[in-house]
Amino acid sequence: MAKNDLLLGTLDLLVLKSLAQLGSMHGYGIVNYIQSVSEDLLRVEEGSLYPALHRIEQQGWIASEWKTSDNNRRARYYRLTAAGRRQLEREQESWERVVKGVAAVLRYA
Amino acid sequence: MAFFKRLGGLFRSRRLEQELDEEQLSHLAMRTEEFVAAGVSPEEARLRALRAFGNPTLLREETRDADLLRWLETLVQDLRYGLRQLGRNPGFTAVALVTLALGIGANAALFSVIDAVLLRPLPFREPDRLVAIESHDAQSSAVGGGGDVSYPVFLDWRSQAHSFESMSVSNTTNFTYTGGREAESLSGAVVSANLFSSLGITPVLGRTFIPEEDKPGEHGLPLILSYSLWQSHFGSDPNVIGRAITLDDQKYNVIGVMPASFQFPVQNEPILLYTSMANDLIGKDPMAGQRGVSYLSGIGRLKPGVSMRQAQAELNVIQDAINRQYPENHPKKIALVSEQQEITGAVRPALLVLFAAVGLLLLIACVNVANLLLARATVRQKEITIRAALGARRSTVIRQLLTESVLLAVVAGGLGVLLAMWGIRALVKMAPPGLARVSEIGLDYRVLIFSIAVALLTGILFGLVPAFQVTRTDLTASLNEGARGGSGGAAHSRIRSLLVVAEVAIALVLLIGSGLLMQSFMRLKRVDPGFRPDHVLTFRVTVEGKRHAKAARAEFVRELLAKVRQEPGVTSASAVFGLPLSDDHVSTSTEVEGRVIPKSERPRVSFELVESNYFQTLGIPLLRGRAFTPQDEQGGPALAIVNEALVKKLFPGEDPIGRRIAPQISFGDTDEAPLRQIIGVVGDVRSRAMDKPDTPAAYAPQTATDFVGVMTIVVRTQMDPEWLAPTVRNLVASMDKDMPVRQIKTLDEYVDASIAQQRFNALLLGLFASLAFALTAIGLYGVISYSVAQRTREMGIRMALGASRGSILRMVVKHGALLVVIGAAAGLSGALALTRLIKSLLFNIAANDPPTYGGVLLLLLGVALLASYIPALRATRVDPMVALRYE
Repeated sequence: MAKNDLLLGTLDLLVLKSLAQLGSMHGYGIVNYIQSVSEDLLRVEEGSLYPALHRIEQQGWIASEWKTSDNNRRARYYRLTAAGRRQLEREQESWERVVKGVAAVLRYA
Repeated sequence: MAFFKRLGGLFRSRRLEQELDEEQLSHLAMRTEEFVAAGVSPEEARLRALRAFGNPTLLREETRDADLLRWLETLVQDLRYGLRQLGRNPGFTAVALVTLALGIGANAALFSVIDAVLLRPLPFREPDRLVAIESHDAQSSAVGGGGDVSYPVFLDWRSQAHSFESMSVSNTTNFTYTGGREAESLSGAVVSANLFSSLGITPVLGRTFIPEEDKPGEHGLPLILSYSLWQSHFGSDPNVIGRAITLDDQKYNVIGVMPASFQFPVQNEPILLYTSMANDLIGKDPMAGQRGVSYLSGIGRLKPGVSMRQAQAELNVIQDAINRQYPENHPKKIALVSEQQEITGAVRPALLVLFAAVGLLLLIACVNVANLLLARATVRQKEITIRAALGARRSTVIRQLLTESVLLAVVAGGLGVLLAMWGIRALVKMAPPGLARVSEIGLDYRVLIFSIAVALLTGILFGLVPAFQVTRTDLTASLNEGARGGSGGAAHSRIRSLLVVAEVAIALVLLIGSGLLMQSFMRLKRVDPGFRPDHVLTFRVTVEGKRHAKAARAEFVRELLAKVRQEPGVTSASAVFGLPLSDDHVSTSTEVEGRVIPKSERPRVSFELVESNYFQTLGIPLLRGRAFTPQDEQGGPALAIVNEALVKKLFPGEDPIGRRIAPQISFGDTDEAPLRQIIGVVGDVRSRAMDKPDTPAAYAPQTATDFVGVMTIVVRTQMDPEWLAPTVRNLVASMDKDMPVRQIKTLDEYVDASIAQQRFNALLLGLFASLAFALTAIGLYGVISYSVAQRTREMGIRMALGASRGSILRMVVKHGALLVVIGAAAGLSGALALTRLIKSLLFNIAANDPPTYGGVLLLLLGVALLASYIPALRATRVDPMVALRYE
């Protein structure tokens, strides 16, 4: 997947939304989720995911804790915070606006 | 909440790293499991997982980079790295630190002195409107510093002048205080009543004088105490107001206390008490009542909007009228000088010269550090190239080098502060008596910041040079290149040589300047004072006041001398008013018998009173005629002994013995000053200052007049004169317990004090010049030894081809000599121009004195030879085979 500005900006959105749906999940799980829900259209590279997770956590939109997963593996699980929920709403709105704008331009192209 | 988490992240970085690793590991494991579950072999699964995952190290770095407070973490890391780098080269670090610290500290210290003494406005209300009113003889060319006026003339000024809001006079003198355990002499001032309000000072206790108190009346004499006197002698008693104090057998009432910071006149010795002009108007023929006795210093506050020139013009007119009205008093002219200039004018040129010198020193220091950094840059070229090849970004390298330089500058700045504080204390202790406002000197932060900024700039500029080389150089080429350094090495060498040449030029200027000043001082020291100052103790006794009438005073002195002469170890003793190099001097005009001279053109002579043994005790040669005898003191015709200068002026080519002159001392004794017969001629002495030749002087027996109240007793001893001091004190106390013994000093001390300013100048400039010289020598050595190291292979080849060690040596030494010669040539013109500016500080030596210039040039050349010889010697000792293989 080409790394372009648009996608970098939406990565945060995708992560937040995934966690909203998943509740609590580790990084690997988030990657898989996005991949499957988008039906393989969006594949997130780990190289982008962890920096994004770190950044989002620093801003207080997600919180993390270490838990033991199903197959007895220790992993770091992330979940959305209240502030994160609010941020998700904001980003979702912003995304919808962008989409509307691009579609409008394309109609007239 | 999140912010604190971020901050917390700073300190737990290691833990975070571990967590990150763990997280990534678990991620990998999960992906591997997925592949295995899909049927792939475990090893293959792991490989695929890794491939999908990406470069873990890079990932780790990028994750950490996403950290929002990364910059702080980076800074800490850079600092630690920078410290380590500096620590790895302790030699370089130490030299750079010391060099910078010296430059910064010296500058800060000297500027603090200059700021306090020259730049800061005086601590009075609207100080720019305060002017000193000097009154000089119309014929004299001396202006500035001094110029006293008599009280009646001053009152004329005040009543007629309109340019001033207020005008005051003051005079410092000593008062004898007997209220303590023993008699004390306190320095005090007699001032106009309006002085304090003119200066804008309010007392901390009580009040200041009211105008009525300038005239004597029934209210008694008012007294204002200084803060320190109030503390030391009156225990800071808040009820001190109204107390009666006896000074000089006179009753005074304390009416106020001055604030602690108050100093007037602004001079080195603090004034402890103040009284009004009434003090000088009581008694018979008081000083302040005589038009011809000029002893007061005038100060005035200009009206707002009035310029000094306007006030000067007005006063000129007033003074002209006075001159015409009273022709028997010497005509005067008035000079107005801003009060600030009056106080600091004398030391201004010296301080400015020193400041320029220390600025040059800072320049040399920065040049030296730049050189050091460049040298290190060339050495580190390879290291930096490797780091660039390994993927370090240019910004990272620059950032790290920058941090190192800044670290260096900051630490040097800190050391510089310590040095400055110590330097200021040393300067204050060494301060010559002429340096005013010494008490106000403290560390000035402005120049400290400036110096640190300069150091920072140098560090940044030259510390970054290696980083910039990285992009320009072809990485492989520079990695493969033999010898140290990349292609930038040659350019570096040229810059370094240029820097050293600049250093030599600056050092030349400083060395010549200091050489001239030091020689001035030496020559001044060797000046023959006209008397023998060794082994002479002097002290003052005050014989005025109601208790001592004229005859009684002479008797007291005679008795005291008789007792002193009986003490063991005393060779001879005498008394004088007008000790050379002290402040006691009265000058007056004189008439010459048989000549008609208009009153305004009468020659000036200084007038001194001496006891018969004086010339003998002080070792002043008697050239003609005879000295005074005790009989001359008892009575008889008025006599005088004159010095050679007077003979040359008044009786050139004639024998003065038997001629008569009449020095016009209007002491109120008699109406007409008597004609005195000259009975002897003595040699000239340096009576005012060691660098000023003597003026005509006339000596009279000590009983000639009773005006003078203070006599200086001089005692020549066989042993160290200081040992006699306690004996002398006891002797005086035994004769009169209420008489204080003032200013016990040896004559050598007076001589030393009179050359203290020149010593101060020479010492400081010599210090700066030596430092500059040392730094230049180090810089020179560095450049040469580096170039030798560069050319080791070349020299090996030469030697292998048969060149003699001598020719190699000569090659290197020529290089060093060339650098110095170019630098000296550049500096020579600068030196010639700049030394002209210090002409006023020089004594007996020309600003372009050839031996000094020659000497300094030889010195620099000598250093060049030495600095070149040592590395050259090392180079030739190397086995050619080793040199050839040297990389």
